[in-house]
Amino acid sequence: MGIPVGIEVVDGDVDPAALDAAFAHLRRVDATFSTYRTDSEISRLDAGTLAPDDASPHVRAVLERCAALRQETGGWFDVRATGRLDPSGFVKGWALDGAGAILAEAGARSFCLHAGGDVLVRGEPAPGRPWRVGVQHPLRRDRVAAVLGARDLGVATSGAYERGPHIVDPHRGRPPEGVLSVTVVARDLGLADAYATAAFAMGLDGPAWTASLPGCHALTILADGRVLSTPGMARLRLL
Amino acid sequence: MSMLRRAVPAVLATAAVVALLASVRARPPAIAVSQKAPPPPQVAPEQPQRPMVSIRKATVKGRVRSANSEIFTTPFSIIEVRVTLTGKQLTRVETVELSGTGARTQAINDRAEPILREEALKAGSADIDVVTGATYTSESYKLALQSAIDRARARR
Repeated sequence: MGIPVGIEVVDGDVDPAALDAAFAHLRRVDATFSTYRTDSEISRLDAGTLAPDDASPHVRAVLERCAALRQETGGWFDVRATGRLDPSGFVKGWALDGAGAILAEAGARSFCLHAGGDVLVRGEPAPGRPWRVGVQHPLRRDRVAAVLGARDLGVATSGAYERGPHIVDPHRGRPPEGVLSVTVVARDLGLADAYATAAFAMGLDGPAWTASLPGCHALTILADGRVLSTPGMARLRLL
Repeated sequence: MSMLRRAVPAVLATAAVVALLASVRARPPAIAVSQKAPPPPQVAPEQPQRPMVSIRKATVKGRVRSANSEIFTTPFSIIEVRVTLTGKQLTRVETVELSGTGARTQAINDRAEPILREEALKAGSADIDVVTGATYTSESYKLALQSAIDRARARR
C-alpha cells in the first residue's frame, strides 16, 4: 500500500536539498515501520524474528511512546488492537513531525506537509492568513465538512470511510459504531494522530473525552449527521 | 437562633452545588486525567461508595460545626453531603455516594456534551490549502480532493 505525501514550502530561500532530506526521512520511516513490508522492523518484531532488544533506537523509542499513549488513553490507543503489531496510528504523524523538523532546521518557516490525510502546518501560506485545512466530508468525496484556520499545528483524522473500518475498539475487538470521523488538532502531529485513533475507537464516548484533552481540539462527525466541535476547535473553524 | 437556621440550608445548597461540580470533575470521562478507560455504558460497573472530600484551610478562628445534608438524587447517583464550617467559613465538603447508577458514564457524557458545539453536517466547497481525512491510499488518492488541490497548487 502506498500513501501519497505532499510537501509545500512557502519560503523562497530554502535549499531544495532540504525537501529531498525530508522525503528521504519519510522513506526511511516507511522502510522501518511499514506493516505492509515483511522485511520492516515492525513486521519482523510482530513475526518474532526480531527481538525487541535488537530493534533500532528509533523503533524502541516509538514503541515506548506508544506504550505511554496507551496508558494516557486508558487502552483506547493500542498498537495491538487488531491482534498484530501496528503502530501506524502514531507513526504517520510522528514521521511528518520529523520531516517538519528537518525543514525547520534548514530555515523553512512556512510550510505544509501532508501524508494520507494527516496534515502538519507551520507559519502561514501568506502574511496574515492561516493555512486553510479542509476536513474531508465522510460521505461526499469532493466536499469538505469543515474548514480550519491553522498555524503551527498538526491535524489528524481517523474515520471509517477510507480503507474500510480499520480501527478497532481494543476493548471489544470490533470497529466502533455511531461515529464517521474524528479530527484532532495539536501542536504535535503524532499525538494528534494517536488521540484521533483513540477517540474514534471510543465511538460515542469519544467527543466528551476529546473535550477534556489539554492542548488538543477536536471535531467529531457522527453517523446521525451531527458535527460536534470542542470549544477550541470551534474557534479554529473558518467554515 | 432563627438567623442560624436560615443560614444552614443556604450553605448546604451551596455545598451540594460544589459537590456536584466536584463529582463531575473528579471522575470525568477524561481518560487522560483518570488513567482509566470509560467503560462502555452497558457494562459500566457500579462505582464504589467512596467519599469525595474537598478541604479548604480556615483563615479565621471560630467554632467548628459539621452537618449532613438531606439525601438527594442527582442525575448520576444518590448522594449525601457533609459540610464543616469553621466560624462562618466552609472548610470541608465531603460527598458520600450512596449508590451509583449503571448509566453513570453516559450521564456524565450527556452532561459534557453541552460544552461541545453541535451542528448539522454540511457539504462545503470552500477554498482550501490542504485536506485532512482518514488515511487514504494511492488508489483512493486519485479520486481524492487532496490530489486536486495538489495539482492546482503545483500550477501556481
